[in-house]
Amino acid sequence: MEQNNKPVKYDLNFAREIYNLENGSYIKQCMQCGMCAISCATREIMDYSPRRLFNLIKLGKKDEVMQANTMWNCTSCCTCKARCPRGVPIIDVMHDLKKYAIQNGYADYPQAAFYKAFWAEVAGRGKVFEGGVTARYYLLRGLDEVKKAMAMKDVGLKMLKHKRMPLFPPKKIKGLGNLKKIIKKAQEIERREAR
Amino acid sequence: MEKKIAVYICTGCGIGEALDIDALSKVATGEYKAPICKQHGFLCGQEGVELIKNDIEAEGANTIVIAGCSSRVNYDVFSFGPDKIVERCNLREQVAWCHPAGDEDTQMLAEDYLRMTLAKLKNLNLPEPYQVENMSKTVLVVGGGFTGLTAALESAKAGYQTVLVEKEATLGGYVGKMYKQVPMKAPFTELEENGIPALIKAVEDAGVKVYTSATLEKTAGAPGMFDVTINQNGSTVEERVGAIVLATGAKPYDADKLGHLGYGKYENVITQAQFEEMAVAGKLEASKVAFIQCAGSRDKEHLPYCSAACCIESMKQALIVKEKNPEANVYIYFKDIRSNGQYEHFYKKAQQEGVIFIKGDVTEIAENDGTLTITADDHTMGTQSEADEFDLVVLANGMVPSAALGDVVEEPAQDEAAAAAEEPKAQAPTIIKANLLNLAYRQGPELPALKYGFPDSHYICFPYETRRTGIYAAGVVRAPMDMLYAQEDAVGAALKAIQCIEATAVGQAVHPRSGDMSFPEFNMTRCTQCKRCTEECPFGAINEDEKANPLPNPSRCRRCGTCMGACPERIISFKNYSVPMIGNMVKAIEVPEEADEKPRILVFACENDAIPALDMAGLNHLEYNPWVRIIPVRCLGSLNLVWINDAMAKGFDGVLLMGCKHGDDYQCHFMKGSELAEIRLSKISETLNRLGLESERVRATTVNIMDYDKIPAMLDEFAAELEELGPNPMKDFQ
Ligand code: SF4
Ligand code: SF4
Ligand code: SF4
Ligand code: SF4
Repeated sequence: MEQNNKPVKYDLNFAREIYNLENGSYIKQCMQCGMCAISCATREIMDYSPRRLFNLIKLGKKDEVMQANTMWNCTSCCTCKARCPRGVPIIDVMHDLKKYAIQNGYADYPQAAFYKAFWAEVAGRGKVFEGGVTARYYLLRGLDEVKKAMAMKDVGLKMLKHKRMPLFPPKKIKGLGNLKKIIKKAQEIERREAR
Repeated sequence: MEKKIAVYICTGCGIGEALDIDALSKVATGEYKAPICKQHGFLCGQEGVELIKNDIEAEGANTIVIAGCSSRVNYDVFSFGPDKIVERCNLREQVAWCHPAGDEDTQMLAEDYLRMTLAKLKNLNLPEPYQVENMSKTVLVVGGGFTGLTAALESAKAGYQTVLVEKEATLGGYVGKMYKQVPMKAPFTELEENGIPALIKAVEDAGVKVYTSATLEKTAGAPGMFDVTINQNGSTVEERVGAIVLATGAKPYDADKLGHLGYGKYENVITQAQFEEMAVAGKLEASKVAFIQCAGSRDKEHLPYCSAACCIESMKQALIVKEKNPEANVYIYFKDIRSNGQYEHFYKKAQQEGVIFIKGDVTEIAENDGTLTITADDHTMGTQSEADEFDLVVLANGMVPSAALGDVVEEPAQDEAAAAAEEPKAQAPTIIKANLLNLAYRQGPELPALKYGFPDSHYICFPYETRRTGIYAAGVVRAPMDMLYAQEDAVGAALKAIQCIEATAVGQAVHPRSGDMSFPEFNMTRCTQCKRCTEECPFGAINEDEKANPLPNPSRCRRCGTCMGACPERIISFKNYSVPMIGNMVKAIEVPEEADEKPRILVFACENDAIPALDMAGLNHLEYNPWVRIIPVRCLGSLNLVWINDAMAKGFDGVLLMGCKHGDDYQCHFMKGSELAEIRLSKISETLNRLGLESERVRATTVNIMDYDKIPAMLDEFAAELEELGPNPMKDFQ
């Protein structure tokens, strides 16, 4: 956390932007109880717990929030959301924040590249092909990552052998066009819900 | 009344298996010559009860001893009309269920309990109720604010004549001056119109007799016959009332003392009350507003307590700002948000409306170019924060009860002789001359305060009952609270006033001995005017004439017996509770000789918590020490030291007092009883020394009703300590 001695200012502009996301306005009703923090399975590897992240939003600390790995390490396990006494749908807020971070060019986490690859795969094919996601991911992450990927080839080979991963891309689903329509509709609703 | 005693021993519920009933019967018929003594396997059943009724009719039995279950159960079954004495000897909860069956010591215990019950009868008579002609059933409500109006309305709606006295020229009090009020109904999220005008109308429609611009010049008398002198604009009126609800409210904490938060320094730093004024006047135009919570409250330098209403009042005011200007930025700086109960929804609502809550301490408020800047330690962030351009800062300045505004009554200077005697003495209660009731009581003009000037009342069980019977405090004069709570208080206190009126009319006590018709009687020929009874009565029931003779007021009395315990001349007694009565019980117990190696421990247990706890120990079949002999007392305050003298002289190895907790968070049902008992106990060591006994043999302990599982250990520990001291050397001299 910031340690310089200048008092921080409360910058409400950033908070307002976040409150305008689909589930963003729920953050307002967070009472900082910390139930989410103690419930979160990946809290240990997060820069800030959900509670702290929400408080940073309130304070207007845009860079800290956007560069935080918190939302990227959220596994969507739903424990926090189930337990939050104020009914904050925390995982949905996390999704909104991820999307906002990507849209605003803050997405240099490996997880962000993975999300993008995964999404492109689903949107393009209607189903997930692990090989495709991997390929897209490494393209996004650059050559350095390919070396790491080679170090993991044994894992990949074993998965192939046990039929946990097909070698060739599966066929696209039937009615991909309809799926795209569904997605489009959902995005429209999302925009509408966001205030 | 010529007593004809009939003893019934129940052999059900395991009593028959645990005891030799025939031997027990011999105690009644042989030692005590009871004309009737019968056994029955199911005494509380129809047949059992018929058996008793037959003897009442055919044999003229009028004093019935039920040796069976605890007096706390089946009292309705074993009730044979107001002209019969019924005494219960607890062989079930306190003998058969907590001591081994067929054991010699269990039998001795049962026989002693029967002896004690029979010995008790000698000085026990049917109480005759204290009744006075023409008791008033009018309820007087002092204070015409939200709580007072509500109490008056409730009492009038319940069909009681009601008089309301308000010192201002108009009714309504603090709430009456508000722009809007906090939500009072589900879903507890919406601001409400000020309800006071409607409440005033309802009060007027209900036929409440209202005096405005009026104060109580004098309150004399007692429940059922309070004579109050009302001073209205200089002229006086007399009213006779039965009971009083004190709802004189609170005052905002003096903001002039909050200079450190900029009050008085900057024009735009205002109080919550000023905010209401601005809103009512339509002068509220602000686009950036901060509320500073706990301004004065929860602060050792100012008010050490939480004022309880200011958190939600600030939320309300924040929402008013938002209502007038949805674009306004509103900040609330708080220590903790204390939006109790349903008001949690209101808190959430304020958050949803975009009010920014900052947990932190404000360190500085400064003015820059006509706007205010707030520097604070933001506790959630762990940093200093600064926010500027506020055009209004509102201090949530808390409240001070009206009962605290005035000088403390000084204790009359002790005469030197008394001071020299240095007797340990209970501290006289704090009484503040707040000019609310002006009681014509020997013990001072207002209600005794507990802490911070709030009137003393039993905070767990009897929150409205003050230490002056028939006077019930409600609303923020009693404790800091929000409006919802105050409403409940008003209803509760009005109901208590009505209960008091009705009980007094038939000569019964109010809680916690509700229904009790006995009251203390003074054998004045032997009174030495020592004043102990007047001083120690926790309820100010006893006045005094010029010659310092005690003048009891039975309808102010709660029947605790504290005066009886205090009187050194032992001249105060109740028809069914007295010093000789308990003394006879002590004397009836058989104390074995030293060689028998059967120690005896006498326990005086308070009927309110300790006795139920002992019964619960039995109910749970917890086995405890068989050397104890338990005597229930109305309150430890009624403990007369002569009983301890008697016990020690008789050879008891130790005496244990079991009573409620005392101190600021006391649980004593008679408020001061257990404390006074302990003070008395500190005087007894001298007497014990004179008898050549260690003072450790007499001990007081606190038991609350949930401590029942600790009772066996408590008794065993005391027994072990007594064993170390060795047997009471008086044993074989009796
Ligand atoms: S559990 Fe909910 S209210 Fe509590 S800190 Fe987390 S988000 Fe806020
Ligand atoms: S109610 Fe809130 S503002 Fe008032 S004293 Fe209590 S915590 Fe402080
Ligand atoms: S001490 Fe108790 S019993 Fe005695 S007068 Fe006072 S209230 Fe009544
Ligand atoms: S305590 Fe007893 S002796 Fe003393 S004034 Fe009261 S009644 Fe009289």
